[in-house]
Amino acid sequence: MLVLEDVCVVRRGTTVLSEVSAVLAGGRCTAVVGPSGAGKSTLLRLLDRLLEPTSGRVLFHGAALTTYDVLELRSRVGLVQQAPVLLGAHVLADLRVGRPGLTPDEAAALLERAGLEGLPMDRETSSLSGGEAQRLCLARALAVGPEVLLLDEPTSALDAVAAQSVERVIRSLVADGLTAVLVSHDLRQARRLADDVVVLRAGRVVESGEAASSEYLAGAS
Amino acid sequence: MTLLASGTHPSVPSWWGVAASVLLVVVTVAVVVREQLGLGREVLVACVRAIVQLVAVGALLGVLFTHTGLPGSLLWVAGMVAVGARVAGSRGRGVPRSTWVAAVAITAGVAATLGLLVAAQVIDAQPRVVVPVGGMVVSAATRGTSVVLLRIAEESVTARRQIEARLALGLPSALAFAPHRRTALRTALVTDIDQVKTVGLISLPGAMTGLLLAGVDPLTAIRYQVVVMYMLLSAVAVAGVVASRLASSRLFDDGQRLLEPVA
Repeated sequence: MLVLEDVCVVRRGTTVLSEVSAVLAGGRCTAVVGPSGAGKSTLLRLLDRLLEPTSGRVLFHGAALTTYDVLELRSRVGLVQQAPVLLGAHVLADLRVGRPGLTPDEAAALLERAGLEGLPMDRETSSLSGGEAQRLCLARALAVGPEVLLLDEPTSALDAVAAQSVERVIRSLVADGLTAVLVSHDLRQARRLADDVVVLRAGRVVESGEAASSEYLAGAS
Repeated sequence: MTLLASGTHPSVPSWWGVAASVLLVVVTVAVVVREQLGLGREVLVACVRAIVQLVAVGALLGVLFTHTGLPGSLLWVAGMVAVGARVAGSRGRGVPRSTWVAAVAITAGVAATLGLLVAAQVIDAQPRVVVPVGGMVVSAATRGTSVVLLRIAEESVTARRQIEARLALGLPSALAFAPHRRTALRTALVTDIDQVKTVGLISLPGAMTGLLLAGVDPLTAIRYQVVVMYMLLSAVAVAGVVASRLASSRLFDDGQRLLEPVA
């Protein structure tokens, strides 16, 4: 579904990604792992065109990302950031940021999909726990109907219980056919969630393939 | 020797009166020296600068009022806009071409406000009126533009995650930045709205004070002050909205991406 071809990113004179080629298959969860500073988040931002490659190209359904209208592309490729970023004063307002016409029934269905069934629509977002807030961000990303969900360390700012609740939602979304690209520094989490893995080190792909047969992930105790 | 000028209104001090007011500078210096604030030299320099600048401006305005007519006055206002643009532009570090943004915004605020007042014949289109009124309008527009540019530059850094979260939902850059643009504009307007609310209660405003000192009847003086207050509010609003729209559009590239912060 998403293919990177010889992608290089140079920022302020520093090479962040170098000749990165990878295939991120549709309907599967691909984990992008590697040590800090390996270029994982940079790779994720390329897929949503929040960043442009210095050279090389990214394909979506076989066509270069640049051939898509950027706003349409971003509604098809959603992003959930590392720490929850809430944009509305209350739950329904937050869900409506990307889709203003969202009805309360549609909002309730999204909340259920994100494991937040029963959360009052008028609940102030500032009163949500970290796990609830991150799942609300997931629901908000789903509201615009993406085919792909980019997840940038979605549980790193959460405690263990909240992280498990977010993982459960990701697993069910992928089971429903959504494509997920998960950036994680937590190799055990990558093993739990990912079908495929891309291992980055110093901006280069050092391993890619099925997560089950990954040597890099096997190293996680 | 009298400290009040003869032949003019009795409340206008003579040059001897101005000289006597230097005693007030001595008082200020005494305070800062006694309190060891390390500002004695700065106070003296500021006071000398003020008198030199004001004498020069006074002489120049004399020439302007008697010889150059309306074109000269408008040129003077344009000069003030240029200075204002430079000052306000420097507040928008991080906003590409912020001085140009400030120049357009201040010009818009001044043109709209002064133009309306002149067109409606609220004020006379003569140098003695255009220059001081223009000065007040440029000053207000500069203040509003400075606040807007400062806040927009700050928001583009501190609210980066929120802005990118909206972009990632498929919102165009103008909508993704809209809440932050409104915050900047609100901040710029609040100060002037508060001034309008408290006018006459906390202090007598400048234009009214000047007219009262010149011997004008208080109920006549307030007419001018009302116009001035509304004029300043409008200058801030127009300059602020133009600055906020231009500045926020310059924070994004053609691919609806927020530009990297300036290193």
